[in-house]
Amino acid sequence: MDAAVKDKVKVDIRDLSFYYGATKALKNITMPLNDRQVTAFIGPSGCGKSTLLRVLNRIYELYPKQRADGEVILDGENILNAGVDINLLRSRVGMVFQKPTPFPMTIYDNIAFGIKLYEKMARSELDGRIEHALQRAALWSEVKDKLRESGLSLSGGQQQRLCIARTVATKPEVILLDEPCSALDPISTAKIEELIDELSADYTIVIVTHNMQQASRTSDHTAFMYLGELIEYGPTEKIFTAPENKRTEQYITGRFG
Amino acid sequence: MNTGIYRRRKAVNGIFLVLSVFAAIFGLLWLAFILGDLGYNGIASISPKLFTEMTPPPGSDGGLLNAIVGSLLMSVIAVVAGTPIGLFAGTYLAEYGRHKRLAFVVRFVNDILLSAPSIITGLFVYEIVVKTMGHFSGWAGAASLTIIVIPVVVRTTENMLLLVPNGLREAAAALGAPRSSVIRIVTWRAARAGIMTGVLLAIARISGETAPLLFTSLNNQFWSTDMNGPIASLPYVIFQFAMSPYEDWHHLAWAGALLITVTVLTLSIAARILESSKRS
Repeated sequence: MDAAVKDKVKVDIRDLSFYYGATKALKNITMPLNDRQVTAFIGPSGCGKSTLLRVLNRIYELYPKQRADGEVILDGENILNAGVDINLLRSRVGMVFQKPTPFPMTIYDNIAFGIKLYEKMARSELDGRIEHALQRAALWSEVKDKLRESGLSLSGGQQQRLCIARTVATKPEVILLDEPCSALDPISTAKIEELIDELSADYTIVIVTHNMQQASRTSDHTAFMYLGELIEYGPTEKIFTAPENKRTEQYITGRFG
Repeated sequence: MNTGIYRRRKAVNGIFLVLSVFAAIFGLLWLAFILGDLGYNGIASISPKLFTEMTPPPGSDGGLLNAIVGSLLMSVIAVVAGTPIGLFAGTYLAEYGRHKRLAFVVRFVNDILLSAPSIITGLFVYEIVVKTMGHFSGWAGAASLTIIVIPVVVRTTENMLLLVPNGLREAAAALGAPRSSVIRIVTWRAARAGIMTGVLLAIARISGETAPLLFTSLNNQFWSTDMNGPIASLPYVIFQFAMSPYEDWHHLAWAGALLITVTVLTLSIAARILESSKRS
């Protein structure tokens, strides 16, 4: 990554707090997410890293009594504003979950679903988009002869790549990954990490992970969170070699968490 | 080891086993007895005439065609009318109204409706439809059955949708899908087998109902597909013929009872197969 584009901020999180009912789960978080880079959120269970991720596409709003305070500026617009079209926002900010979630339909339809929500196109063009998405997710060669089979027939690792393909197919600008490898074996994990690396050329990526090696391998910047607070944010290399905060150091060296 | 405690436990275990097996056999015995009796008497009375001739006056030959057709007509209308209402209401409960007061009330009322004695449904429709129209009718019978179909479909639809993991809803919403698309394309599809099972069970439920038809569609000894007038139905004919003193009417009642039982059995088996195919 050269220095010129390095500083462009895609998403700017400012003084963000989050509440589950009366419980404050995020405490005044401020941090940038750089354009076309990978940012990793790390920290022990319950530190709020997944919660923070779920604010970025407002997926938390599916549930009552969850509330965010503060600002999340995506390309100059605060996405927490009431006037923001939430579905349009989610088409710009895609998300891949911890557990693979293929829809109960064919592999083809799994990917077509997201595309057809916002675009009308000829069948041949749709075919092309689906092939492209599957190729980007490094799944094409494995499924090209069984696009009409159920998405549920794939292995766990393949299902997760299908979910990534599905997300990429809708051409988002930001991709949120919520522990995408925690249910996968090492080989599938390696494939997905490779994929994250490739995708970061075109997308702003945020990854939540419990796996410190994964954070250090895949990300440009790392944020360490603890008990709902952002303890330290900086270039990944610095966080893992010369952290400024004592807690960060203890966590990354495995002395707590 | 304390052999006293061990032996006592073994004895208690034996007693429980005997009690359980006895209770199970006792229940099954009656069921087998009922089905056996029904089969014995019913099969003897089955003939092609059942499906080609009308219900006869006492002392002459006949079949059940008008009753079969009447039952089919009313059941089909009840299912066609009741399924969408039940489906949408169940969807409201599971998808939109999870934590809302209205949903709580609707669910409560639906549970009451589900267990309400069906004769009350018949009386209700009698008051609302039959009295207003001034005469008994197939429409009234169908309306009465619809009221029975709705709560069954509402309940199964809600339960089946609640079984769909939230992760699936989140994943669809995360692609930018509006709520209605998430429901139509993803959650309904995931719960399809279960919802279909509910509809089949609703059909099974209404195909044997007599009470809701007593004051609504009444009966008709002749061929009629006029939903505006009284119309025959299998349960009513069984009721009427079984209560009569005539031997040949008894035979027809047995045959009708067997027909209904076989239909319900088939639907139940189909529902089971659907349900197990969903799990695999």
